[in-house]
Amino acid sequence: MKATDIQIALCGSAGDGTIAAGDILRNAVARAGYRVISFDVYPPEIRGFGKCISRVRITTEQSYALKRQSDVFVSLDDSHAIPHVGEVRPDGAVIFESQPVATVAEGHHISGHIHPGHIPYGIPLRELSEKSTGGGRSRNLVVLGYIAGLLGLAAEHFLSIIEKKFTKQGSEVVSRNQAGFHAGFQAGAATFKLDNVFFTPLGAPHGSEQVVMLSGNAAVAQGCMDAHLDTFFGYPITPATSIMERLAVALPKRGARLLQTEDEISAMAASIGAGFAGARAATATSGPGLALMSEMIGLATMAEVPCVVFVSQRGGPSTGMPTKTEQSDLNAALYGSPGDSQHIVIAPTNVEGCYRCAGKAFEMAERYQTPVIVLLDLYLSNRYETVTLAVSGPPFNLNANKPRPRLEAGEVYKRYALTDDGISPRAIPGDAGCMHVITGLEHNELGRPSDQEEMHAAMSRKRHDKLLGALQHPDFTVSKRFGDPGRVKVGLLSWGSTFGECLEAMFMAQAEGIPCAAMKVVMLAPFPVQPVADFMADCDVVLVPECNYEGQFAHLVQGILAKPVVRLSRVPGSPMPVEAILGEVRRLARGAVTAIAS
Amino acid sequence: MSIMERPVFVDDKLREVRQSGRLEYRSRSLPTWCPGCGYFSIVEGVTYACNEMGIAKEQAVVVSGIGCSSRFPFFVDLFGFHTLHGRVLPVATGVKTANDKLTVIAVGGDGDGFAIGGGHISHAAKRNVDITYLLFDNGIYGLTKGQTSPLSAVGLRTSTSPFDNPEQPLNPLMMVLAYGASWVGQAYAGRPDHLREMITKAIAHRGFSYLHILSPCVTFDKTSKTYVNLGLRVRELPSGHDATDLMAALRQARDQESLAIGLYYQESRPTLNATFEQLVAKAGGGR
Ligand SMILES: Cc1ncc(C[n+]2csc(CCOP(=O)(O)OP(=O)(O)O)c2C)c(N)n1
Ligand code: SF4
Ligand SMILES: [Mg+2]
Repeated sequence: MKATDIQIALCGSAGDGTIAAGDILRNAVARAGYRVISFDVYPPEIRGFGKCISRVRITTEQSYALKRQSDVFVSLDDSHAIPHVGEVRPDGAVIFESQPVATVAEGHHISGHIHPGHIPYGIPLRELSEKSTGGGRSRNLVVLGYIAGLLGLAAEHFLSIIEKKFTKQGSEVVSRNQAGFHAGFQAGAATFKLDNVFFTPLGAPHGSEQVVMLSGNAAVAQGCMDAHLDTFFGYPITPATSIMERLAVALPKRGARLLQTEDEISAMAASIGAGFAGARAATATSGPGLALMSEMIGLATMAEVPCVVFVSQRGGPSTGMPTKTEQSDLNAALYGSPGDSQHIVIAPTNVEGCYRCAGKAFEMAERYQTPVIVLLDLYLSNRYETVTLAVSGPPFNLNANKPRPRLEAGEVYKRYALTDDGISPRAIPGDAGCMHVITGLEHNELGRPSDQEEMHAAMSRKRHDKLLGALQHPDFTVSKRFGDPGRVKVGLLSWGSTFGECLEAMFMAQAEGIPCAAMKVVMLAPFPVQPVADFMADCDVVLVPECNYEGQFAHLVQGILAKPVVRLSRVPGSPMPVEAILGEVRRLARGAVTAIAS
Repeated sequence: MSIMERPVFVDDKLREVRQSGRLEYRSRSLPTWCPGCGYFSIVEGVTYACNEMGIAKEQAVVVSGIGCSSRFPFFVDLFGFHTLHGRVLPVATGVKTANDKLTVIAVGGDGDGFAIGGGHISHAAKRNVDITYLLFDNGIYGLTKGQTSPLSAVGLRTSTSPFDNPEQPLNPLMMVLAYGASWVGQAYAGRPDHLREMITKAIAHRGFSYLHILSPCVTFDKTSKTYVNLGLRVRELPSGHDATDLMAALRQARDQESLAIGLYYQESRPTLNATFEQLVAKAGGGR
C-alpha cells in the first residue's frame, strides 16, 4: 500500500482560530502515530485581522520539508485564502464556508476562484458551529472535525488534544469545542469521499523510541535540559524568546537557574562568568542581540571559556523583519567578533537536529573550551516536527571536560598549558591550589598578560588547532551526503533550514531522471573541508540555495575550496520554495557546463 | 579616628604585614602600577580582609573590567577573571549564579563602572547579587593615558578636554543609593587603615555591597583628585549617622565638596541566589 503523504493547509484571519486548529490537527495526527512537519505563518501585529496560515504535512516516514502544494486547503476567510488557491494540487480539496453571513461582492467568494481540477467542499461552517455550540466561534473546530470525518481519521486523538488544549479555560469550553468538532465530524463522514487522499494505517511503533511533537525552539530547550544545563541568561527577542520561556519553566523544576538580564551584553557576560565557574551555561538571541554579544564572544575565545549561544535568525539587516525567516547572520556568527574569530558554529537542518545540536553544543563547548554558536532561523525555531527520542535516556555526555592530572608538589598550575591537541587541562574556582587569572589579553601559559610575538603565534595556533578536534566529535554528524552516489550532474550544497527544501527538490529531480545528490553541512566552523571537497569533486555543477541576498555560505565555500558554485540566494522572508530549487536544478542539468562559464 | 592619622613607620608596617599572614594572598606578580598610585593600598586592603575573614584562596574570585584598576586580579593569589571594559558586573553575576559558595569581588575603574558599564550597576543593585563591588575612582581614564571620565571634576584639563572639562560629574553614591544597593560605603586610598576595615565589612555583607574608593592617579591628574586635595576634602561621616536611614545617606552623598568616608547605608534583603532558591521551591524542583 502507498505510504501516507498528505498536506493540509488552513488559511484564515487572526481571530478565526486558524493556528489553534492547525495545532490541534498536527498534535492529533502525531498522537495517532504519523510523522508531521508543520509551519505557521502569522502577521507581525499582535492584534488585527492579518493573514494566518497553518500548513501541516502528514507522512508515514519523517519528511524534510513542506510540499509545494497542499492536498486539502481550508478557507476560514476568503479574502486571505483566494490568493493561495494556486497552492492546492490538481484533484485536491478546497473546503470553504458555503453560507456567508452577508452578501459577498462579485469575485470575493472563493468558489469563484477554485481551479477546474479542484474538488470543492462548500459547507455551512457557521451554521454547524451555531447549532452545535450555540455560537459561531467554533468554526475552526467544525472544520477540523469535517477533515477528520472526510479523511477517515479517528476522532479520539482530536478529542483528547482538544481537552488538553482548552482545559485551563474550563470544562464548558472543552465540551463546546468538542461539540463543534463532532458536528463537523458527522458532516465530513456523511459527505462524498475524496478518493485520491487517504491515510494508510500505520505499523506498530518501535518500543525503543519515543516520538514527540516539538517546535525547533522546544527541541532546543529539551536538548538543553537533557544536557543538564545549569544556568541560562537571556534577553527577549523574536524568534528566540520561546527558548527562554520554556527554560524559565523547566530549569527551576530541576533546581537550575535562569536570569533575565538587562541586555544581551549582560546575558553573554553572565553566561561566560558561569562557564568560567564550571557551570553549563547558555543564552539565546537573534541577529541584533548577536551583534551586542560579539565583543563578549571574543572574550570567551581568548579566555577559553565554554559557553553556548543559540541564535535564531530573522530578516535583517538591523531590526529587519522580526517575524520573517532568513539565513543572513552566517557571516556575523562566523566572523562577528574582533580579532581572529575562533569558535565553533553549528547549524541544524531540522527539528530533531535542533535537539541534537543543542545537547552536543554543551559537550563541544566543554571539550574544546570555546564558545559554540548554534545557528537556527525563524523557520526552524517555529516549525513543528515529530522527533524521535531514545527511550533509554538522553544521548549526551554530561561531563566532556578533559581530565586534569594531579599537580606535583610545588608545581604551578598552567591554565593555558600548550599541549598536543591544543586543549589545556582546566581548573575551576574551588579547585584548591589551582588559583589563576583568565583574561581577554593575550597571555602566556600561566595566563599572565604577554604580547611577545612567539607567544601570540603559539596561542593563536593553540586556539585554532584545538577546534579541529570538533570535526571528529563523537556521535555528531558534521556533514552528510544524500541522493545518488558517485558522479552526479547537479550537487546541492546546503546548510540550516533550507536543507529540507533541497532534499525535497533532490527527490523530485531524481524522479525526473536527473542524477542528483545533496550535502548538508552542519558544522560551519571549523569547516569540514575534506568531505565538502570530495562531494564537490563528484558534481558537474554545485548549487548553493540559501535565504540571504549576498550568498554568504556560497562565499564561505568558494573562499575555502577555491572552486566555483552556482548561487541561489533569495530573501523571500519565507522558506526557499522547493520549485525555485528544482527549476534551478533542471536548468543546470540541461547545461551544466554553460552554467559554470556564465 | 582623627583626620590626622598617626605617622606610620616602614619597619613597623613591614613587620606587621609579615606577621599577619596576609602576604599569602599576594600573587607572584608585582603590581605594574605607577609608584604612588592609590591602587596599591587597595591590594593591601583586600589581602588584609581575606586574611581577617579566613577566606580560602580557592573559594574567592576577583572579577575585573579593563583599566589600570582592572589589572588588580593579577596581583592577588585568588581566582580571577580580567574581562572586558565595563562588563565586570554581569560577569561577576554569572560567576555567583553558578556557585553560591564563592566569595566574588568585582573591581574596576570609574570609567569602567560609570561610563561604558553604567547600565549594569542598577541591575546588580536591584537584584542584590551577593558580590562586593570595589570602584576605584581616580576621576580619569588612567590606562588610556588620561582622558576625561564621567567622574572628572568640572574644569579638569585632559587630553580629550583640552579646553577643560565643562561637564558636571555624576554623583555615584547618590546613584547607587537610589538603585537600591543594600550596602553603600566610601573610603579613601590615602587612609589605608580605614579602607581595609571598609573592604572587610563590604565583603562580609550578604548582598550587593558597593564601596567607592577615592584614589589618586598620580600620573595623569596633577590638579583635581590629588593626595593633597583629597586629604583636605575627605571627612568622616558624622558620628551620629544612621546607616539604616536612606534619606540621611542621600543627604551625606549629596555633598561632593567635602567627601564623607564610612558606611552610608546598609539593609538586609534576600540576595539573588536566595531568590533563585525560592523560585526552585515554588516550581517544586530540586537538584
Ligand atoms: C570597548 C572598549 N572601549 C575602549 C577601551 C579602551 N579603554 C581601556 S581602559 C579605558 C578607561 C579606563 O579608565 P577607568 O575605567 O577609569 O580605569 P583606570 O585606568 O582609571 O583605573 C578605556 C577607554 C576598551 N578597552 N574597550
Ligand atoms: S596611570 Fe594613574 S591610575 Fe594608572 S597606575 Fe598610573 S597612577 Fe595609577
Ligand atoms: Mg579611572
